[in-house]
Amino acid sequence: MKWNSKKALPLLTLTGVVLLAGCGGNNGNDNAADSSSSPASAGPTSSSAAAPSDSGTKMDTTPITFTFFGADASPNWNNMQDEVGKVITEKTGVTINAEYDVASGGGQSKIALMAASGQYPDLIFAKGELGKLIDAGAILDLTDLIDKYAPHIKAIMKGSENRMKYSYDDQAIYSLPTNGGVGSQYFDATGGFEVQLRVLKELGYPQIKTVQDYENVLSEYVKKHPTTDGQPTIPLLLNGDGWKRMITITNPAFLATGAPDDGEYYVDPQTYQAELHYKRPEERDYFKWLNHMYNVGLLDKDTFVEKDDQYQAKIASGRVLGLISQEWEYGNAENALKSAGKDDRTYGHFPVTMSDQYQEKELQSAGVDFWGISITKACKDPVRAIQFLDWLASDEGQVLINWGIEGKHYNVVDGKRVIPEDVLNAKVNDNANFTKTTGIGLYTAFAPHYGDGVKDPTGNYYTTNFPEQIQASYSDAEKEALKAYNATTWKDLWPSDLPVKEWGALYNMQVPTDGDYQVIYQKTQEIVDKSIPKIILAKPEDFDKLYDQFLADLNKAGAEKMEATYTELVKNRVKLFTGKDIQ
Amino acid sequence: MFNFINYFVLTVIVVATVYPFLNVLAISLNDSTDTVRGGIYLWPRQFTLKNYETIFGYSTLITGFKISVLRTVIGTVLGLISASMLAYTLSRPDFRSRRFVSVFLALTMYFSGGMVPVYILMRDLHLIGTFAIYVLPGIVSAFNVFVIRSFIDGLPYALQESAKLDGANDFQIYYKVVLPLCKPVLATIALFLAVGQWNSWFDTYLYNGNKPSLTTLQYELMKILDSTQQGSAMVNSNDLAKLMQQVSPESIKMAITIVVTVPILVVYPFLQRFFVGGMTLGAVKA
Repeated sequence: MKWNSKKALPLLTLTGVVLLAGCGGNNGNDNAADSSSSPASAGPTSSSAAAPSDSGTKMDTTPITFTFFGADASPNWNNMQDEVGKVITEKTGVTINAEYDVASGGGQSKIALMAASGQYPDLIFAKGELGKLIDAGAILDLTDLIDKYAPHIKAIMKGSENRMKYSYDDQAIYSLPTNGGVGSQYFDATGGFEVQLRVLKELGYPQIKTVQDYENVLSEYVKKHPTTDGQPTIPLLLNGDGWKRMITITNPAFLATGAPDDGEYYVDPQTYQAELHYKRPEERDYFKWLNHMYNVGLLDKDTFVEKDDQYQAKIASGRVLGLISQEWEYGNAENALKSAGKDDRTYGHFPVTMSDQYQEKELQSAGVDFWGISITKACKDPVRAIQFLDWLASDEGQVLINWGIEGKHYNVVDGKRVIPEDVLNAKVNDNANFTKTTGIGLYTAFAPHYGDGVKDPTGNYYTTNFPEQIQASYSDAEKEALKAYNATTWKDLWPSDLPVKEWGALYNMQVPTDGDYQVIYQKTQEIVDKSIPKIILAKPEDFDKLYDQFLADLNKAGAEKMEATYTELVKNRVKLFTGKDIQ
Repeated sequence: MFNFINYFVLTVIVVATVYPFLNVLAISLNDSTDTVRGGIYLWPRQFTLKNYETIFGYSTLITGFKISVLRTVIGTVLGLISASMLAYTLSRPDFRSRRFVSVFLALTMYFSGGMVPVYILMRDLHLIGTFAIYVLPGIVSAFNVFVIRSFIDGLPYALQESAKLDGANDFQIYYKVVLPLCKPVLATIALFLAVGQWNSWFDTYLYNGNKPSLTTLQYELMKILDSTQQGSAMVNSNDLAKLMQQVSPESIKMAITIVVTVPILVVYPFLQRFFVGGMTLGAVKA
């Protein structure tokens, strides 16, 4: 057949256009969301009312596979081919086919797609995106399932039952709190105000309780030693790069003025009124002090212009005397100091406040309030799913998840669980491979569990972290300093016995995602980002004017409206968690 | 004098482009704790291969590498064929609907359906969980078509006419006359396509995240990068302390950058020789 142009040209075009069809997204197919909700049975209302009360023995262990999505990264996930995973499958019959989010996305895009397309995994760890799935009607209420099939989960959650409920208006249990350990203890304080150990030593371990003490220590030392290793000594360094300004600049403002960490808000413990913490009059004094520190030349003048890596490099050079931060924030730099043998250039932690009248509440516990695992409507067998989770929450399950297999990853010596030297070595020095082959640490977020410092019926800790380890990891310089302050850990300097927060961890609280709230919140954050550097770098006589301007700007952006919404949410939370009646 | 300025300017450009690369290489070969101290420029201060060891310790990288190579080769070849065919058709003045098709194509450059509708479309086309999703959706890019078309427009039309006089049909003209002349533009487009395919990870993440057999290199590297990132909510403060003692993200990041760049660097010289125009000079007598 002879090709001529009249026939062939449209054909060629057609080839192209057909191929193109794949990439044009706007084909109007977008309301298919609800069409494919899974035909799986509508919940656990099925017959088995006489459920196995001691689920460990009678549990169905025929092989079953659950799909799972985790909103956090888990790069060492090994499709349950690890040693712990094999035991879990053997004991419960369950295999997990897991997918994890990448790039610190927090599951945002994936979960939006799930909610839109109606394709859900059986189990999901949705973190802050849970609300979207609940709105889409994708999540099962676990209340009855827990009641019938989950004795171990009930035991762990005893006393915190209300804290599993979703909200005051919707008291269903949509997720089991798994992203933290119940009853977890802090073994050490890693925040507060930091001072280099060499400074403490030279000045004879002075008392450091107020910002005035702190300032005196820094200025006295820098006067004696204006240079370190030939370079100028930096008395105080903060990190103004991006979100880290919260860690080193704005969060310390409420910590130093006796308020606990509730994100960008301050919640009045009596009236439960929430406001942006910057509005507290006490904090004006804190920023005034920072302004003073800058003007007398103690605060490094590059604070708001340098990037994170320059900040770290300065700390790693060992010439920074004081920080106001969290250990994880500057940990890389501190490691560099340690590996260079400069232990006396690392930092001690102090609960510094504006004056004696404040109590440092950084370590105040929020109680059980974690993101967690949910079972979706797509789940083929919710009963098996909850039994699986409950098995992981049993003592047997928790020890397996945390410690591994007896005789392989730990031994019991005189009734104590001990990790053999070679296993410990692999765990510390080759953690990625260790995790991949053993599976220890991969299953923690699947089920509710006890935290660090809680002991099981045999008198051993559930987890492999315990206080003695922390003390063993201190350098000699650090031990010497602690001894001088009559403490075994830095935590001993902090006030203890603070009441558990009635409103839990507010960063877990679902805030409105539509309407004004988000817009106003963004605006206020931009104002903070812009104004705080200006205020700290101002001339002392301009400080009050600028701070007033800052507060006025916040209100102009609608902060009061936002605070009112937030207060309402906080109050509902307290009502839900404590059963108190609040107006 | 002219030579001097010429050499000077070119040297500055070379330094400005090569230095960042050498810097990345140096950091990737430096001890990760030491990197934090800063001040690494051209040479690693404490030489180590540990960063690369960490990366290549992940066995999934091999599958990822295979799939990445496959999608790059297949995606580039199919992309070139379809874009050049469409471009040739559009360049022909005797194609009546060329205006309509051009506008239709141009629209896709300015409007797209957004992530969710695209996802639903892919689901309804049953492309999710297949290899085809790496290649098919992006096979025709309007931009590439227009670039090739304007190149063809620049070719003397007389060449096509003379081929026709010699009895060639449209496919023959396309294959024997137009394509060989288009080598420079095709090489350019091939590079665009190949780099795009090689670097993309988001489609793996969206569509094939739970299919280990279809994972790509970039997606796996992304996961490794995550593992070195601090502050993940899954670890509690006591675990975090331990995590801090491991590799620092900076050196790993740089090592990943090198691993990702090297294959492109290797391919580049082979395509470069096509980047020469002027092949049609003197093909037609005026």
